[in-house]
Amino acid sequence: MTSAIELVETVVKCAVVIGALLTGFAYATWFERKVIARMQLRVGPNQAGPAGLLLPAADGIKLFFKENILPAAVEKGVYFLAPVMSMTVAIMAFAIIPLADAVRVPWGDGWLRFQIADYNVALLYFLGVTSFAVYGIVLAGWASNNKYALIGGLRSSAQMISYELAMGLSLVGVAMIVGSLSLSEIVAWQKAHGWLVVLQPLGFVIYCVTAVAETNRAPFDMPEAEQELIAGYHIEYTGMRFALFFMAEYIAMITVCAVAATLFLGGYALPFGIEVPWYLDLAVLLAKIAAGMFVFVWIRATIPRLRYDQLMDFGWKVLLPLAILNLVLTALGIYAYENGLLG
Amino acid sequence: MTMTMDVRPAALAPADVAARAQARFPEAVTVDAHGALVVDRAALIDVATALRDDFGLAYLNNLTCVDRPDRFDVVYHACSMAGGAPVAIKVAADKANPVVPSAVSVWAGANFQEREVYDMFGVRFAGHPNLRRILMWDGFAGYPLRKDWKEAYFEGAQKPFNSRWPDGAFFFGEEKLTEWKSNAKYPRGYTATGVEKARPDNTVMVLDAEDLKHAPDIGSERLIVNMGPQHPSTHGVFQMQLVLDGETVVDLQPVMGYMHRNHEKIGERNLWLANMPYTDRLDYIAQIGNEWGYALTVEKMMGIEVPDRAEHIRIILAELNRIQSHFWGVTFLLNDIGAFFTPMMYAIEEREIILDLLEMTTGSRLMCNYMRFGGVAYDLPEAFLPLANTLVYDRLPRAIDEMDSFLTGSEIVDTRMRGVGVLPAEQAIGYSASGPVLRGSGVPYDVRKAEPYGIYDRFDWDVVSYPEGDIYARYMVRLGEMRESLKIVQQALKQLPGGPIMGGKKAWQIRVPEGEAYGRVENPRGELGYYCVSDGKANPYRYHVRSPCFINLTALGEMTKGHKVADTVAILGSIDIVLGEVDR
Repeated sequence: MTSAIELVETVVKCAVVIGALLTGFAYATWFERKVIARMQLRVGPNQAGPAGLLLPAADGIKLFFKENILPAAVEKGVYFLAPVMSMTVAIMAFAIIPLADAVRVPWGDGWLRFQIADYNVALLYFLGVTSFAVYGIVLAGWASNNKYALIGGLRSSAQMISYELAMGLSLVGVAMIVGSLSLSEIVAWQKAHGWLVVLQPLGFVIYCVTAVAETNRAPFDMPEAEQELIAGYHIEYTGMRFALFFMAEYIAMITVCAVAATLFLGGYALPFGIEVPWYLDLAVLLAKIAAGMFVFVWIRATIPRLRYDQLMDFGWKVLLPLAILNLVLTALGIYAYENGLLG
Repeated sequence: MTMTMDVRPAALAPADVAARAQARFPEAVTVDAHGALVVDRAALIDVATALRDDFGLAYLNNLTCVDRPDRFDVVYHACSMAGGAPVAIKVAADKANPVVPSAVSVWAGANFQEREVYDMFGVRFAGHPNLRRILMWDGFAGYPLRKDWKEAYFEGAQKPFNSRWPDGAFFFGEEKLTEWKSNAKYPRGYTATGVEKARPDNTVMVLDAEDLKHAPDIGSERLIVNMGPQHPSTHGVFQMQLVLDGETVVDLQPVMGYMHRNHEKIGERNLWLANMPYTDRLDYIAQIGNEWGYALTVEKMMGIEVPDRAEHIRIILAELNRIQSHFWGVTFLLNDIGAFFTPMMYAIEEREIILDLLEMTTGSRLMCNYMRFGGVAYDLPEAFLPLANTLVYDRLPRAIDEMDSFLTGSEIVDTRMRGVGVLPAEQAIGYSASGPVLRGSGVPYDVRKAEPYGIYDRFDWDVVSYPEGDIYARYMVRLGEMRESLKIVQQALKQLPGGPIMGGKKAWQIRVPEGEAYGRVENPRGELGYYCVSDGKANPYRYHVRSPCFINLTALGEMTKGHKVADTVAILGSIDIVLGEVDR
């Protein structure tokens, strides 16, 4: 009986989160267009609905009804699989994010947790699933039988490998301090002790940089560098297949922002132990995600792209040593604290 | 860094060069009525080498051809980097078998120009490294700038060729649909896949599968990428054939002509004055400069004086034009290194206001049709001066400083631009590079100082030059030139005199006396030259445009080799081409 209720609960949660993510994606594109337009002395979307708010819907309809062109020389199975894979992986990563404090309910174990999976190795899960994202891109690049796409795919795999390491190491500091890999426990720890960004400033900065690289966003958007590769790995995709890549990119952005908020910025909790009802918890998390998205858009509007080799240099020669340094400093700090050396 | 250029006259005046060359090569060199050296074919390379090394003519301005009734005249214009007018050199070629030795070994900048002459006139250049058509396609039959060329449906037969293929077996479906049917013919032996094979004379970029195999021990292959003609970063319908080894560029061949409309042929059919609006279509970001170059050349041939007010108006509009063109060039370069249109939007804001000024004066924002032989078409409107003064004293200096402060110091701009696409000074001169590309290589050569036209010699301004020769230097040259242009406009606005705006005799039909002239102006993208020949008739006998964008591209391959794919785009952006002028 309990298990059936839990199953229904999980399915409902999944449906709500996926729905919210897709809507979030749609409005992320609107938000990006609007913000970039304001930064470029333009107005941005203003025709479809008030302030162009219906534009994402119009875009969706357009993409649904576009012809799905299948180029003659593609590797069909992989070509179809690649966008699906990108999208699936992007959505999966969101499952571990705690969205609000648990509330009492009269069924199940008595608690309704606003989190699809309170996984005890959630951090590892997050790293593992985001690593999978590169497969969608590499396979799309390879299967498209297009040179630009191929170069895009190659760049993407190299970029992912270099930045994955630094990203993983930047998160280890958090796990060492909290002593847990579970995101709900990390949030609970921050509720009690304050935001981790104060203790892990270097880790936070490294995470932010690598997150931009992981999501293939400017100035690290090598795989789809418009100026050289036109559209890179998704050059041969049209209609909804193209839209899936597009969605995957934006949902990945939302996810890395949510992870940054959860790990470093107190998650759904307000600072200084201020307690609010669960729906305001949700609003707090949304605000933190929106702030992260704004930074993404801001960077895209203002910064030119690095070159591929410079990007690799930066990843291996700067970020990775810094991440290791952060690890060592954190370990020393914890040792000093536990042995009372800090007074 | 700004440098003041020496305004000393050329080491030798053109007449002195002619006299000395004749003394040194009495058998091979004569001087014709227009002061040009007429050089014997066989002695061309010796004479050219001597001109370059001993008489200081290090820079080949222009190379073209004139189809005379009894011969082809291949015409070279070369000048000294110390300044002064270029010296014309002519070599005659037989009508039946036109072959001239290639000057590429003397002036590397002759490369594309000789290909263009071959393409348009069928004059072959012995010893040219890659003598192929450059503007027309490989399979085109005929040489359109020859006087006996007949254009199908217009001058010639309705159907010049029965079929595109010699045996008539193969046709393209689209031929049935167009009214031109098969108005083109491939030469015998040409196959659609022919470019994939090296030709016996090794003239084609080698796309052979065997040659592409590389480093057999790890089994890696080279990759050919055709960037363009449909590509967001080629600034139009321009193509770059890249051979890549991973991300590194091994070879690059520019491919152009997708927008070729034979400007020169049309120019030779037009009346002299009817060409004026047509020059706007060359470099459509720098209309006024194009018109000025053409007006200057024809004024030279007609011997007209331009009144003072008209000279001031010309200089004001041309320099404003340069500012808006550089706004465009600088910020599109930023786009090419990956900025998402933000710098461009801010620059376009300023450019629009300058175009407002052009519009209120000439009636058009882009296709101005404003200059006339002997002056300008309309006087400045009343609203011009207040707006222009606010712009050049207040708004534009601020906009330029703002761009400078936001872009120049940026870390990413720095790492992407410094040390990339380096063109050393000697190579820049050899390749006939001009404009910001030449000055970015540390050669402070500017036509406005070297051979002052208009009234540039009356104003106080400097030639901007940076010695590094990389993208960053070209970018800094453009920024500096915008400031120098502001200085010129400020002075010109202050001194603007009254009086007439047209000189010379009023005439319905312009008669240009028999003769020839090479006129050049410093356009935002480099030295824009016009070579016109008149036979006293109503239209030009020969009308040639020395396009700075086209010739600057000669050095592109050299600049790009060894860099990454992303740099290719940035280097092309730093040359700042406009396809209307490259393809003509």
